[in-house]
Amino acid sequence: MRILLTLLFLALLVLGVWTFMDAHNHAWWLPPNVSSYGGDIDRLFYLILWMVGFFFVLTEGLLVWCVFNFGRKRTTKADFTHGHHKLELVWTAVPGLLLLVITFTQMQTWAKVKFKSNFPDVKPTCEVWASQFDWRMRYPGEDGKFGTVDDIENPFEFVVPVNEPILFNLRSRDVIHSFFVPYLRLKQDAMPGMVIPVWFQVEKEGSYDLVCAELCGWGHYKMAGRLKVVSRAAYDAWLKKSKEEMNSNGSEDKS
Amino acid sequence: MHYTLSTATKTSLASAPEVQDQILGSLEMLFGTPQNPSYLRTKDWADAEFDPNHAELAADAGGTGELAESEMNGVKADNLVRFRSQLEQVARRDYAGLAEFKSAPHLSDRVAAIVADKELAEDKRQADLKALFENYYPSLRDSTELYRQQCLHCHGVEGGGDGPTAGSVEHPFLDPRPRDYRLGKFKFTAVKDKARPRRQDLYRVLDQGVYGTAMPSFRRFSAAERWGLVDYVRMLAIRGEVEHDLVITFQDDEHLTAEAPLAAFQDVWTKWQAAKEKVVVFEGEVPAPTPAMLKRGDELFHDAKKGNCASCHGDMGLGDGPAAYKLDDQGHRVPAYTDDWGNPILPRNLVQGLYRGGRRPIDVYRRIYAGINGGPMPGIGESKDADGKLVLPPEDMWALVHYVRSLSERDEAVAGGPIHGMTPPGEGGGGGN
Repeated sequence: MRILLTLLFLALLVLGVWTFMDAHNHAWWLPPNVSSYGGDIDRLFYLILWMVGFFFVLTEGLLVWCVFNFGRKRTTKADFTHGHHKLELVWTAVPGLLLLVITFTQMQTWAKVKFKSNFPDVKPTCEVWASQFDWRMRYPGEDGKFGTVDDIENPFEFVVPVNEPILFNLRSRDVIHSFFVPYLRLKQDAMPGMVIPVWFQVEKEGSYDLVCAELCGWGHYKMAGRLKVVSRAAYDAWLKKSKEEMNSNGSEDKS
Repeated sequence: MHYTLSTATKTSLASAPEVQDQILGSLEMLFGTPQNPSYLRTKDWADAEFDPNHAELAADAGGTGELAESEMNGVKADNLVRFRSQLEQVARRDYAGLAEFKSAPHLSDRVAAIVADKELAEDKRQADLKALFENYYPSLRDSTELYRQQCLHCHGVEGGGDGPTAGSVEHPFLDPRPRDYRLGKFKFTAVKDKARPRRQDLYRVLDQGVYGTAMPSFRRFSAAERWGLVDYVRMLAIRGEVEHDLVITFQDDEHLTAEAPLAAFQDVWTKWQAAKEKVVVFEGEVPAPTPAMLKRGDELFHDAKKGNCASCHGDMGLGDGPAAYKLDDQGHRVPAYTDDWGNPILPRNLVQGLYRGGRRPIDVYRRIYAGINGGPMPGIGESKDADGKLVLPPEDMWALVHYVRSLSERDEAVAGGPIHGMTPPGEGGGGGN
């Protein structure tokens, strides 16, 4: 029984570590980062992962050793102890210190991504409306204003130019949703009644998944969108074409 | 899984179970089963080398010729993206695992057949597979699988709008309820005179979604898949209409001849083909809104002899006009109208700016011009007064369209700079996790 339990806990340790070491071979890992600030977030992620990984191995190893060493049939009476002051001080102070390290290392990144004083000085590209269960991007029309009749509304696809800071207003029509683009390392809740400015900059053209990351109802699983990053020229052409479609007189429907 | 008769049919033919069986059998002959749906190709059609199962093929190539060249180009462009990895595999002549498409069993079969064909030369095999992926257009059998995965849970097996997510009639889960295709009526189309929808109308609904309802945009599927779903939805609608027509025929004649199902099918098919003649188009450029137009629109909106919109949509456009409500036995204020599906219906609140049929000026123009098929919204684009003059000449139509659209304007200017229009909740701001 002692050996069996030892092996069981050892297997947990080995499997746990192997899962992380081998994840990139199975597409279990993060998708490649394409945003300007994603690298900073990834570095924080790895810092915390290594810390947690170290303590996982340490505590799990200790557990295996304890099971192996003290798991024999008891022959003597158990000792009674009031604890060990120095040891307790150490295991309080060290994690406390580590938390401080994390706090101070992440502040710069958090400020860069979320503080409004650090937002790029550009006009919002569009409004992103979340609703049960789709995403709708509303681009201002000729007048450059949101909420007017010449706005262009694009379901599903969030089209933006590459290598430019993009600011957008995140809004919700009904319940709490969350705008999550794993490729950008960007996640932001959308609250009904609030206008939440969000920014990002993508450095590689392509189509990236946009999903809802806040359980918002029965159709949450299918509330998907797409971030389509194109060149400036292609973006301008798309915007021009959308404006033309907006003013269509329906003649394209004539066969 | 199998097709059944609608509740309405079962109720009206409750005393004639053998007729129910006869109709169910005829429908299976005409439209197949959910596992293998396909239109019956009548002898006339076969003689004329016409196959209703191929919407993508030109009329002279044995199809119905309903996919324009530009639409087919869109299909091909999407196919290159969708099948990128498969096409790369084909280029390497590596055919392992090539025939595994969970939502396209027919495509899987076709790929597997080419891969397994021993008599095929390697060059030909490669070329055939490349062509198959590049020009892929789903058969009804492929589309039924995608329908089963994506649409059925709301719209039901026969397209009756009675899938599990829709809830029951007594306890509906969605408001509005999912469309019941079987009446052949679709609300948001570009056609007038309550004509059947064109395939492009159904495609637009899949592309744009119906904003403000549970119907989302299905743009995440390739153009081919969406056109395939349109074909399948049309088949379900035609099937439902034929079923309904057969019930009427039986009730009128008290028997059903062997020819009745085919005649009903051809009749309904012709109706669907006639829709393209009914498109509402404005000849000329859409005029830009001016303050004078909006003022004119305001008058027309409230004028009981002109637009008469306010009677239902309310003085402020809030959807609370007096004609839209009535009092029930207990004196409660309830919707005055029901739509053709029997659901209580309220006029749109125009201030919200949620236009189910699309928010382009031409979309709103079409709603006012042709009305909404199946609902109480009338079309007034061609109404004439006692002197034979149009109640709303084109300039008045546009005044009304622009006025209606202006009701949803929010007064939120886009200021320059990073912050605008809100008090930041602390420097961190934004909330989130």
